[in-house]
Amino acid sequence: METAAARKVLTVSQVNQLVAGMLGEYFSDVWIEGEVSNFKAYASGHLYFALKDEGSQIQAVCFRHSAQRLKFRLEDGLAVIGHGRLEVYQPTGKYQIILDTIEPKGLGALQKAFEQLKRKLEKEGLFAAERKRPLPALPRTVGIVTSPSGAAIHDMLRTLRLHKAPVQVVLYPAQVQGEGAAEQIAEGVAALCARSDVDVIIVGRGGGSIEDLWSFNEEGVARAIAAARVPVISGVGHETDFTIADFVADVRAATPTAAAQLVARTWEEFETRLRDLAGQLLEAAEQVLFEKQQAIDELTRHRAFELMAGHLAEQGHRVERLVSAAEGSARAALAGASSRLADLNLRLNRQNPVARVLRQKLALQALADRLDKPALALLSRHGVRLGQAGARLDALSPLASLGRGYSVCLKPDGSVVSRVSQVEAGEGVSLRVSDGAIDCRVERTAKHNSGGN
Amino acid sequence: MAKNEKPTEALDFEKALAELEGIVKQLEAGNLALDKSLALFEHGVRLARACKEKLAEAELKVSQLVKDKQGLFTEEPFREGGD
Repeated sequence: METAAARKVLTVSQVNQLVAGMLGEYFSDVWIEGEVSNFKAYASGHLYFALKDEGSQIQAVCFRHSAQRLKFRLEDGLAVIGHGRLEVYQPTGKYQIILDTIEPKGLGALQKAFEQLKRKLEKEGLFAAERKRPLPALPRTVGIVTSPSGAAIHDMLRTLRLHKAPVQVVLYPAQVQGEGAAEQIAEGVAALCARSDVDVIIVGRGGGSIEDLWSFNEEGVARAIAAARVPVISGVGHETDFTIADFVADVRAATPTAAAQLVARTWEEFETRLRDLAGQLLEAAEQVLFEKQQAIDELTRHRAFELMAGHLAEQGHRVERLVSAAEGSARAALAGASSRLADLNLRLNRQNPVARVLRQKLALQALADRLDKPALALLSRHGVRLGQAGARLDALSPLASLGRGYSVCLKPDGSVVSRVSQVEAGEGVSLRVSDGAIDCRVERTAKHNSGGN
Repeated sequence: MAKNEKPTEALDFEKALAELEGIVKQLEAGNLALDKSLALFEHGVRLARACKEKLAEAELKVSQLVKDKQGLFTEEPFREGGD
């Protein structure tokens, strides 16, 4: 036993200090692997938990500035590999490991983060099929969130131009990778939604590594897309890359170009529909004319029509005679009146003869009109219709005839075959029908005896 | 329906298409007087032509949002770099 004076007595603090120094020196650069347990995230941003294996455990801390850089969320049961240094917490004399880096064991950190966020948002129903909105039928204004200098905007504008989509593009220029990119993308979606003219939004960027595409896997971007007022198309990376943005978007396009094509296609479908309708319109009009023409043919074949036409002509003549008689009597009245007018000039002021003559003339006119009108109306109804129908039919009849099942037979040189003598057995001819041509070969010809010319 | 026929700026493509569909249906039903049919046909042709012309003259317009000092967005023409 040494004497009290020879003893080197240390205070508790001194011991802990010494241990802290030694531990700090020998364990300043440690990689450690274990399972997270008893995980607690404090409001300060620091993370406290234990790392354990089958036989042992160690307290671990990840301070805020390191915790902020983690791409995934720590949780109990997670197997991790961490890097850090040992430290003695002198108030309690317990030691712990201060971790500056933590990675999920097995999967890469980003992959893990991706899986975690995907699971979380899926649980919230953000990927649900019933949340997906269809693209607007005819988008007029397309909002795009991407880099103003990247290949993506170039590809998208080229595609829209190529397809002649009659749209307006409003670009929200955003950084699409690196620090702050996710915030800019989310802000872009919100800013475009705030405009009343934007019908659809494309968020995208060209392909790259998982780190390059990372912004599109951030929760903020996913939330902004989910909250968008208008449908959102994601067009991120290459065919095979799936990002969280793709899952939450209303429509996922494989690439920025494909996203622009989706917009352009709505207009192409419109043009096709327009073309079809124009065709249907013409066909319907031809059919109407054909039917009316038939009805008129039917009528004119009737003897009654001839009688009526004769009757109408006769009435017309009568009207003419009446009108000229009326005019004659008006003229006579006028002449008589004007001769008397000289005499009566000043005296007959109150019975103004000119006015009386005019009244007479008007009365006669009215009579003539009464006779005139029904007859003229009848004449014009039939005459004008016939004329119009005839003109339309002349203009459209070749087509209409083909449509009704008639066909035109053409020789290879394009001349129309109208006589048997124009073709010989074995010769090739082409039948032109309403929607194309049928190539045929002549088997034999037979001339009708009755076929006059 | 044939009233506001101004195929100028505010041509509503969807409405025009719907109207055209209606016209075709009416004509196909085939129980209209000839002059009414012809009027419908002509109106339809005008609608189709107006849409086509509007589509043909459309040009891609591109602008970008730029944040000013107050944090408000203004719209500016966007010119592609490195074309």
